Amino acid sequence: MTKAEKWVPYFFLSPALLLIVFFRIFPAVSGFRESLYATSFASGGVKSFVGLQNFQGIFSDPVGLQSVWVTLRFNLIVNPLQIGLALLLALLINQALRGIDFFRGIYLLPIAISLNVTAIIWGLVLNQNGLMNGLLRAVGLPAQPFLQSPDQALWSIIMMASWVGVAYWALFILAGLQGVSQELYEAAEIDGAGLAQRFIRITLPLLRRVLVFVLVADTIANFLLFVPVLILTRGGPQLSTNTLMFEAYRRGFVFGDFGSSSAMIMLLLIATMAIVGVEFWLLRTGE
Amino acid sequence: MKHSVSSVLLALIVIVAMLAGCTTPVVPQPADQAAGAGDTAASTGKTKVTWLTLSEWPGTDSVAADFMVDNPDIELVLEKVAFNDLFQQIQIRLSSGSDTPDVVSVDVPLVAGYGVRNWLAPLDDLYTPEEKADILEAAYAAGSHEGSMIAAPQFTSTQLLFINKDLFEQAGLPVPGPDDRLTYEQIADLAKQLTQDTDGDGVTDVWGFTWEQTIRIYQLQAMAASLGGKAIGDDGLTAEGVINAQPWVDAYTYYSKAFNEWKFAPPSDVDAPELFAQGKLAMMIAGPWQIQRYSTMNEGAGPGFNWSVSRHPYFEGGEIVTPTGSWHIGINAKSKNIDAAKRVVKWFTTTKGAELWWRNASGDFPAQKSVLSLFQTDPQFEKGTFAYMKVAADEATVNPVPRALTPGFLEYEQILQTTFDDISKGADVQTALDTAAQRIQRELDKYR
Repeated sequence: MTKAEKWVPYFFLSPALLLIVFFRIFPAVSGFRESLYATSFASGGVKSFVGLQNFQGIFSDPVGLQSVWVTLRFNLIVNPLQIGLALLLALLINQALRGIDFFRGIYLLPIAISLNVTAIIWGLVLNQNGLMNGLLRAVGLPAQPFLQSPDQALWSIIMMASWVGVAYWALFILAGLQGVSQELYEAAEIDGAGLAQRFIRITLPLLRRVLVFVLVADTIANFLLFVPVLILTRGGPQLSTNTLMFEAYRRGFVFGDFGSSSAMIMLLLIATMAIVGVEFWLLRTGE
Repeated sequence: MKHSVSSVLLALIVIVAMLAGCTTPVVPQPADQAAGAGDTAASTGKTKVTWLTLSEWPGTDSVAADFMVDNPDIELVLEKVAFNDLFQQIQIRLSSGSDTPDVVSVDVPLVAGYGVRNWLAPLDDLYTPEEKADILEAAYAAGSHEGSMIAAPQFTSTQLLFINKDLFEQAGLPVPGPDDRLTYEQIADLAKQLTQDTDGDGVTDVWGFTWEQTIRIYQLQAMAASLGGKAIGDDGLTAEGVINAQPWVDAYTYYSKAFNEWKFAPPSDVDAPELFAQGKLAMMIAGPWQIQRYSTMNEGAGPGFNWSVSRHPYFEGGEIVTPTGSWHIGINAKSKNIDAAKRVVKWFTTTKGAELWWRNASGDFPAQKSVLSLFQTDPQFEKGTFAYMKVAADEATVNPVPRALTPGFLEYEQILQTTFDDISKGADVQTALDTAAQRIQRELDKYR
């Protein structure tokens, strides 16, 4: 390889790298810088360096702490739930059952609808006098305050997010499943392996790479989930769905406090990187 | 293992990249601004002035056209944004230092907040002494910050109780007259009787009473004020011990019961004026702009039932107070077309423009005395439901209480909005107000 040829890969990579630097890395650095400043309105809107005060503010403020807790609670539930259900759905779709072709067609419908529209429709369905409560009343059950109750609102958001997420992530797992050679299953069956053994010994190990991708991407997507909260609950009732992402939006775009807002986004970034790092470690291949 | 470490590093870089897009505010720029809005348009030779205003106001285009007939060297472009998004748009665009929009509609309690941020250009030289004398003194003062006028008064406002007379008569209840003033306690008694599940399916079909702006302090503050509650501490920066004091707790306990115990108020996300227009709401506190709406709907035939108004309610034994304050017009301090923008603001806030807007656009109450006097002389207000405008004009003089005078009004208003939403959905009143007081105090401390 000549000296010039060594630069060829970098040349081809450069457009993508430049885009990442200008549109991703640079804003991240700029956001970090913003998180170290605060604007004093008492002195005519002067911006001053405050170090880590904006970060301390998140943890000394009950609303900031609450949003950290809501974000963690939401993610601890929604990520395993979505991936578990997506795996089950992918296994189901991968079976040669009667009518499965029709099901393979319709299970993707939630992905085909934009998240904004999905949130608005679910808002109508879960309304006090919406479709869901109409069905409950029709079978003699009491109407539920799905989006009105602080005990149910987060679960309603989890349900809505999973309605879209499960189908989406199942698509990737299905691709992984279809890459597993049938010969391995046949050989295992001849050796006397049962269904559970084949799943644990063959399917899961060979799905590991796909599952790592799904786990990482799903975690990031759910940490940054914003649209359903904005459209359905706006962080309420009683801050029960006030995720860090929504609180950062509120502080920045509603209250004009970009220092505090940027600090929250940086916190989200650090938390997500830490959790994704742990996920990689847990699912390491040992190569 | 080396492979695994490099994979982790690569993945982390990608994650940083994916997250990064969320860190820096993105300033929305409508397409026409990118082409240099605000500059003199080379093709037409006109100066382009953009005005960020409400989309809900009807007829604004026709008044803008009238302005351009009088000012052929200016092209006035209205950028219309929904009420719920307008404040955020103004906040983001002016805080970014953008030179557009040139003109913004300003909700009057936000004047101080915009003032401390130096977002609006001073307008002290806008009016002649005669023009200044024609503007309601309270409205002029409300547009001023630290001795300088920065937002020109366009409207003022008041609130009335709108009544579906047919529903009252069907229930055999006496209809309150235009000069009657019910107490909230009387309203509760009536509303309970007027709320109906007509088809027996367990879902209410006709509601007794609610507020037009169900969770906004603009309408709800008069309740606490009637019981002696202040909007904010005297320094304009104290919320703790004020908005969670007993008058507030008592007033909003009534509010909570309306939704949760007595259940005569529809859920807070219901469009109350539309519900009233459909004949499914017996009583509603709303602004006089609804008089224009209901009087002119269906080509002047009205909503299809008999309706009337009475005075703004108060608590038994409490003080009679009414909401007030409305929209002003300000000029972006960074605008490149301050002179042209001043001509826009002046035209819309002096006699001709103010009258045209009031007649042909939103129907809001003008802040100009000469236009307000038309209520007494114009034959339009002698007949039918339009005559209720006279009731509103009189009600506007009855102990109007302005909203909290604080540079942190935006934060104050937004936090109270979520608080009222929570209370309407059953949150404990004292706890909700205590939490709101803490949150607002944290935001107000930024201004100390």
